[in-house]
Parts: sequence; C-alpha cells; structure tokens
Amino acid sequence: MDSSLHFLLLMMYLLYAVGSSSSCVRILPDSGQKILVEVGKEFTATCHLLKGSRYTADDIEWLLENKSIPKEKYFKINETAVRVTVNISSNVNGWLKCRAAKESLSYEMPCLYGISLTTGYPPLMPKNLTCIAVQEHKEISPNFKCSWDPGTRHPLIDTTYTLYVQEVFLEYKTSAPETYSSICKEHLASSCTVYLSTFPHLMDLRVWVEVNNTLGSARSDELVRDASYFVKPNPPLDVRVQGEVNFSTSLMVTWKHPIDVNTIALRYVIRFCQAGSSVWTEVPEDLMHAYTESFRLQSLQPYTDYVVQMRCIHESHKSYWSDWSANATDRTAEAKPASHPDLWRIIQPTAHSRKVTLIWMAPVQSNGKILRYDLEISQDHEMFERRIVRLNEMDQIRSHQTYSMDVPPRKVAAIEITATNSAGVSPKATLFIPRSDQELPGVQHISWSVDDGQLQVEWLHPPPGGPRVSEYLLEWVKVPEGEFQLDRHWKKVSPHINSNTLTEWFWTGPTDFHCDFKPFNRYNISVYPMYSRRFQRSNTSFRYIQAGRPVTTAAYIKQGSPLEGPTARVTKPKKTSAEVTWEEIPLDSQRGFITGYTIFYKTGNIEKSMQAEAHLRSCVLTDLTSESDYVVHVMVSTVAGTKNGSDFNFKTAKYGDGEVELIVVVVCFIFLFLTVIIIIFCLRKREVIKRLLWPRVPDPNDSSIAHWSPDFSVKTDLPKEDVSVVEVDVFDGKSLFEEDKVVLPLKKDKYLSEEHSSGIGGSSCMSSPRHSVSDSDDGDSGQTMASTVQYSAVVASGYKGQTPDHQAPVFARSESTQPLLDCEEHTEHLYEGSSQSRNSYFRRGRGLELADGEEPNRSSLTFCPNKEQVFPIVEDPAVSTSSYMAQQNGYRPQ
Amino acid sequence: MNCHVSNMIWLSQRSHTKFRIFLLILFLIAVELMQPTISCRTQNCSHLLHRSLKLTKFMNWSTAELLKIYKASQGDSTDLICDMQMDNVPVSTISGQSIPERILSIYTHLKEFLPHMRTVMEQQKDLEPPTNPVAEGINSMITHIRHLALKVNCFLQMLQPNIPIPEPAERPTGIPTAQNIFQQKAYGCIVLSRLQELLSQAVHEQKSIRSKICSKRTKTLSLN
Repeated sequence: MDSSLHFLLLMMYLLYAVGSSSSCVRILPDSGQKILVEVGKEFTATCHLLKGSRYTADDIEWLLENKSIPKEKYFKINETAVRVTVNISSNVNGWLKCRAAKESLSYEMPCLYGISLTTGYPPLMPKNLTCIAVQEHKEISPNFKCSWDPGTRHPLIDTTYTLYVQEVFLEYKTSAPETYSSICKEHLASSCTVYLSTFPHLMDLRVWVEVNNTLGSARSDELVRDASYFVKPNPPLDVRVQGEVNFSTSLMVTWKHPIDVNTIALRYVIRFCQAGSSVWTEVPEDLMHAYTESFRLQSLQPYTDYVVQMRCIHESHKSYWSDWSANATDRTAEAKPASHPDLWRIIQPTAHSRKVTLIWMAPVQSNGKILRYDLEISQDHEMFERRIVRLNEMDQIRSHQTYSMDVPPRKVAAIEITATNSAGVSPKATLFIPRSDQELPGVQHISWSVDDGQLQVEWLHPPPGGPRVSEYLLEWVKVPEGEFQLDRHWKKVSPHINSNTLTEWFWTGPTDFHCDFKPFNRYNISVYPMYSRRFQRSNTSFRYIQAGRPVTTAAYIKQGSPLEGPTARVTKPKKTSAEVTWEEIPLDSQRGFITGYTIFYKTGNIEKSMQAEAHLRSCVLTDLTSESDYVVHVMVSTVAGTKNGSDFNFKTAKYGDGEVELIVVVVCFIFLFLTVIIIIFCLRKREVIKRLLWPRVPDPNDSSIAHWSPDFSVKTDLPKEDVSVVEVDVFDGKSLFEEDKVVLPLKKDKYLSEEHSSGIGGSSCMSSPRHSVSDSDDGDSGQTMASTVQYSAVVASGYKGQTPDHQAPVFARSESTQPLLDCEEHTEHLYEGSSQSRNSYFRRGRGLELADGEEPNRSSLTFCPNKEQVFPIVEDPAVSTSSYMAQQNGYRPQ
Repeated sequence: MNCHVSNMIWLSQRSHTKFRIFLLILFLIAVELMQPTISCRTQNCSHLLHRSLKLTKFMNWSTAELLKIYKASQGDSTDLICDMQMDNVPVSTISGQSIPERILSIYTHLKEFLPHMRTVMEQQKDLEPPTNPVAEGINSMITHIRHLALKVNCFLQMLQPNIPIPEPAERPTGIPTAQNIFQQKAYGCIVLSRLQELLSQAVHEQKSIRSKICSKRTKTLSLN
C-alpha cells in the first residue's frame, strides 16, 4: 500500500517536471545563441504551436523583455502560428518570448519559448585616414601607425578594425605585392599600428582600413603616398647658437643631421626670438640651403639674448615636420649705446631752495652693459658738478640711478648725461630746470579710463601760442608713495598729433611698463609736456629738454570694495540729534574712489540711514528720540562695493539745549520771588517775629542784685571743707516749697523760657523746667548752651565738726558770669533757712572723700532728682553749721 | 575603387549566411580584379629613375653600414676574410653594352643576390641571437633589394616595352650547406661586400644614364 502510494507520488512529480520543462510552442528564427539584430530595423518572428498542443493561435502572447507586445503587431498566420514584428531600438537586449496560455482559469500548464536578442549597428566608414612612421635612432621605424575618425556611433557589438599597408603593385607579374595588416579589436578604434618589418623607402604605399562586425563591414578611402610622406623625422641634433665677437648683430647657429642624407634628405627651418618674448621670427626657407648644418642669423639687436629653435622636413616637403628642437640661447655681442639715457627729475621745494633729484635709467638701446654715466650739471650757465658714476655689480641690478642737489628758485640748472659701455658712448641726454617762476605751460586737461584691463590716459595739448612740444612724459606713482625710486615711473611718448581732435591718446597696460599697474591701488598720473629749448652759451648752441607744468590725476586700473569701514564717533549727542564724525580710511584700504558714505543708526528695531557725500567727514542725525540708545555704523562705498565700519553706541540726552538753563532760571526767579515775599513779610511782621525768636529777657542791670555786694570779703584761705552737692529732693515738697516761694517771681519767667532750653549742665535730666535752676536765656541773650549756667548751692561748713570762725556767705556755684539772681535777690532767704531747711538737703556724696585742695569732681555733682536715689540724711549739727566756701578753680568769686 | 557590401544582414537564417559568404567571395574577387596597378609604361621616366637612383644610393649606404656592423660583430681579421675568393657568389660587375643590357645586368644580379642574402641571414640567426642587428639589417636589405629589383624591372619595361624581361631562375646558391663558422663568416662578408660593389656600380650606372635617357623637358623616354 505504501509502496504504491510512493510510486504514485513519484509519477505525479515526474509528470509535473516534464510538463513544466517542455514547451508546446517554438519560435522561428530559432537559435541556441543570441540573435543579432540591427538597431532601427524591424525584426519578425513567428511562434508555432507544436502538434498536439491544446492551445490555439488566439492563446499566443508575445513578450519582449517580459513586457507584453501589443496585439496590433501580431499577425495570425493560421490557427497554430502567429507572427510578430517589432522595431529594434538600441536598448533592446533581452528575450523575445512566445507564451501560450488560456485567458480563463484553467488547469492547463502554459507554454513558453524564447529567443535571446542582441542589438548593434553595422560599422561606419572610417574617415580622415592618416599614417605616420617616426624616426627611431637613425632609421625610420617599421611601426606604421595610422589614425582615423571612426565616427561617433557606437556599434554596440564586437567590431574589428583591420589596417592594411600594401606596397603599390607595379606592373610586375612575377611576385605578389607585399601587404601588411594589423587587427585592432575595439568597438570604436581610432588608431592602429602595423609592423612593416622594414620601412619601404622610396616605395609607394597604399593604406586603408576595413571595419567588420556581424552586421556589416566598411572600408575607408585608400591613402596612396610615397613612403616618405609618412615619415616624421627627429628634430635637428645638437642645435647650438653662438655670438660672434665684433659682430653685434649676428649669431651663428649650428646643428647636426638627425638622419643620414641617404635615408632622407632634409630641409631645415630656424626660428628665433628675444629671450622672454613669445613672438618668433622664422627664417625664410629659401634662405637656407637644403641639408646644411650651419646658418648665420643677421640683423639682430646687439647685446640681446636670443632663443633659437629648429625643425626639419623632407627636402621635397614630402614628410611630416619634425618637432621643434630644444631651446638654444646665446647673446649677441655689445655695441655702443644707440639711445641716450632716460633722464628725469623730481623737484621738491624746501624752505629756501629746491631739492632737485635727478633720476635716470639706462638707455633703451643700451646695446651692452653700462659701465658708467658721465653727469655734468651747470647752474646759471656755470659748471656746478661734473661727476662720473661708475656702476658696480649692485648698481647694475638697480633700474634707477639718482643724484640730488639744491637749486635755488632764482637759478636755472642744465643737466647733461651720457652712458658708456664697453663698445662706446651713448648720445647725450639733456634736461633744463628753469627758475621757479618761469615754468612752461602744461597740458590743458587730463582724463583717464580703463579699457580691457588697460589704463588709457587722454589729455589736451597745451594752449596754443606756446613753444612746440617735442614729446610728452607720463609719470605715475603709487600712492601713498613709498620710496620714490621704486614707486615712481615715467615714460616718454612722442607727440602723435591728431589734428582733428587735438587729442593725445596714450595706452598703457599691466605688461607694458616696468611697473605693473596693480588693481585696487591708486596711482597719481602726471602729464608733462616736454619742450626742446635752444640756449646760446659762449657762441655755442645747446639744446635742452625742459618739462612744462605737470597736470596730475588719480586713477585706478581696477577698483574694489574697501577693505575696512570708517571708524566713527558721536561728538555732540543731543536730545533729538547727534553729530557723527568719522575718519577717512587709509588709501591702501580704500581700493577705489570713495563715492559716498551711508550712516546707519538704529534704536530698538527701527533702523534708519542717511547718505553723505564722499568729501564729508561728519553728519548730523536728526529726529532722534530723546534719552535713547542708538547703535550707529558708517558704510563706505566705492563703485565696486561697500564696507561697513564697526558699530558704536551713544545715548541721546534727556534735555535739549537751554532746557536746563531755562529750568534753573525759572527756579531762581521763583526762589527770588519767594525770598522777596518772605523778606517783605518779615519786615512787616518783624515785631511778632522778634518776639517769637527773641523773647523779652529782663535786664539784669535793672535787677536789685546788680547793686548788691556782699558785706564780707571773700576769704581766700578758707579751710578746706567737704563739698557737698546739693541734691534737691523732688519729692521733698516742703523744702522746695519754701525756696520756690522766695524765687517764685523770677522762676515764673524762667519757666516760660526754659520750655525752649535744653537744660543746664548738659544733662538731659535738667531738661525738666521745673527743677532747673539754670537758665540759658538768663542774663545776656547772646549766651549759648555752652555758656549755660550751672547753679549749685555750695555751703561752707566746718570740717568734721569744726566750726568756722565766722559764718561764711552762701555762694552759688556757677559757670556763668551771670550772678545768680535768685540767690542775689533772696539772699536773706538763704540765710534764714540755711541752718534748717538747707542742711537737710546737703549731704556728702558717696565716695567723695576729697583730699585737701582737691577739686571735687563735677560729675559727681550731678543734679538729677528724678533718678538719683535720695537717702534720708541724718541731720548733722556740724553740717548744719556749714557755711559757704569760696569757690575755687575756675569759679568766679561772686 | 571603393566597393563594399552593404546591407549584408541576415537575420539568423542559415540560408542568409550562405548567401552572405557567397557575396563576400564575389566582393573579394572584384577587389582583386579591380586592384589598381601602376603601369610602368605610364611612369615618369625621370621620376622613376630618380627614385631608383635614390633607393640605390640608400641601399649602398645601408650596405656599407651593415658591412661595418657585420665586421664589428664577427670579430678580428674580418677584413682579410672579406677579400677571400669564393665561388658561386654573384659577381658585382655590370655587363652589357647598351643601356638596357646594363640595366638588365643590374636586375639580374639583384635577383641573384637574394638567395645568398637569405642564406647569410639564416646563418647569422644561427650564429647570433635571432634579433641581432646584422640579421635584421640583412633582412631589411633583402626587402630593399626586392624593391630595387621592382623599380629596375619597371624601368626596363620603359626601356624595352616590347621585349619581355627574362626572369632569372631562383636557383640555389651553390654554396655547400655544411660550412663551418669561419666559412659562414667569410661567406657573409663576401656577399655583403659584393652587393655593395654592385650597388655602387648601379649608382654610377644610373647617374650616367640619367641625362641620356630621360629628358626633363618632355619627360619622355629617349634611348640612345
């Protein structure tokens, strides 16, 4: 059972495998390999249903590169065959398949068959066939290389180019012509080389190219030439050039033949140029004999380096030209200078004279190495200086030679200079320097422009009527000027007069002069008319060149944007305006003519700008907001660009001009007005004010005490007794009452005034008017607090029970010079109660056991009834008999 | 004539392939038949003689150079062996009375030298590396001899257009193959020396007849 099942499965698998690999259709043309088809052509194939197929022609579908071909291109031949025609494009490169399948769902296995297509082009005919055989060693190489134009169409398939070289078949039947060929298998070969074993000298050759691929073949036009036509010889060997002594205008050129004359007879060509130049001069061929090995170049410039090159060709021009030989260089011999030195001067006025710097260069046609200059200078027709300037090696390198001298403004100077080399002396160059006030006129106008990288200067002739201009001198100097010998240049131009326009044109460019005009640099260009003046001196006529007055202009060969912006600042910030000033940027940084400035100022997010002309260096910004911060920068412009300067800040003022002054004036006026009002008021109310400020104080002179005098003399040698401080017990109403009764009339006034007093003795405790026995307002009204009166009742008593001899008067201690009115007025009261009432209020202070003669401490004599603790004093008879002691140490006896 | 087959495209059908091969054969036959040949009779006498003379001069110079190289490569005493007498080597003497006879003599001698030169070349290839300059020079000289022979033959046709030019048979050199090295060196040197003599005489011969048989003015052949 199992084996039968396995067999069944195996059979099903084989059936499926066979069915899937076999096909019921075939395609004609059929090929096991790729079928090559030409691009652009139509390709037709037919799909046949094999016998026994269950499909019909309607079930056939064509696929090209797995894409279904539209049914319109089908042609049903019969029920079993369908033909299709497709256009072959260059990108077709894949399978053309025929598929037979039911469109509806079916268990039938689809049939599929395909052929592989490859596309390509037939080859194009090669064109422009050229061949060459170069020289190797002393023979012509047998490697014959030909080149051609294969066309631009890629054949897409393998293509073979076959180059044929055949000796031209003469009418000679005995042997076949020798034919050489070479095959180059490239899709687009453009050259191929054939080996000829021996180069066929003096034989005619026929050359052609055949191209073949599967789709076709092509053959180039034949090239039939003598074999020498294809030869390219080497350039002449060992080319040398040599100057000849005493022949300053000729050079001898020698060379050797690159190949033997029996192989190829050659003709040579020489070309030469001055060293550094790229303009070659070719010697005409007819001047050179064929197959020579030397030639003399003539009509050359003396003392000039020449570069010589040579090449050769078959004598009958039947070959290619060889390459040019390597450079051979030599210098012609020296000749005496043919032109005068180039002399110029620079005049710089000084305080009392003129500093004239002569500057000259070697003659343009120096024709040799200048060994020395002979300089002769005369001032006011008298010989001033005769100098020989010999040039050493360093001087030879320098392009300029200079000589400086002082020429007073009232003197003329004439300069002559010659240059000498090993062959002779040059013509003389002259220059005349007139008096300062005798300058000849200059040109009328000068302008410049840049055209195609060249600076073109234009000027007008000097005004008519003046002397004739012999030539013009253009001087240019880079500014800012450095060392003038390096930066100053000049050139003389002949006056080519255009009579129609009276305009003189002059071209210059970066390569025409010793000094290149560098872009972004400013040059001052001056035009001097040069006059030829004849002078008579000692029956001899001299001709000198004199320069007219210069006219100068500034120019740029190319302008650029400035390198840096102006550095600006605000000088006068006001409430709504500010003046911005800036410095002109350095010339080197300008790189062009300044066309203007733009001032940008910004506060918050609001930015404004203001234009300023190029000549301005300051600008006033208006309509600003008061007390605002502004950011400002200045932009400088040229025709080629702009550059911003750095930002800076400023703040507008709060007040405008005069506002502060106005406020001050108004306030002052108001203050003055108020002052006047107050003064008037005070004058009117002076009595009231007087009373308020200065209350009426009784005149002590009117007091009775003024006439009081003690009836005893003050004993100066009073025994030292204890000094007790009178302490008034505020709570002792009896004693106070008794005293108060005595001094009541006086105290009444005092109390009124003491409301404005700070008290006596500096103690705050004394501020109480009730207990104060002092009065700052007492006596003279001019007394101050410092002169406040401190009153104390000092009672002189016997010491420790000793009774004094007599009853000492009672003194009131005071710092004031004012007498104690109370005491003076009521001394009788003091006497009356002294033994009773007073004693009860006198006691020895704690710790006040004073030595003899020692002044009691004032601080201990405080009088502060509010705070000091009052101890009941035991009535001491000794104390009760106390008497007044004379006050010592600063107390004025009263 | 420039002929080529166009549209020879067959679309993978074998019948088309056969047809294409047939067309190609026809094309090659046509090309061969229409091969442009330069008729010697239409050649410019002066031009032909001039080129022949220049080729002869070149060969004379080349042979002299080759002989120097040969002598230098063969060792010492080659000057002596070059003067040896050896039979069967073509002589260099141009014979004949009339110009055509002398030209024919040149032609015949050139043809006679060819097998000897080939023999010498083979011997030199055996003696030296195959790419030695002597062998290469001899090989080139063989080519030049053939080229000169063509020109002389053409010139003979111009001189005697109605008389067929007898072709000397390519016979063996007659030199025994079993030569020792010395004999080979001597043989080669003698062949080259005699060839140079022949070429030198040929130069003189052509120079002498240049003004006699070719008139530049008419550019026609004139026989004495």
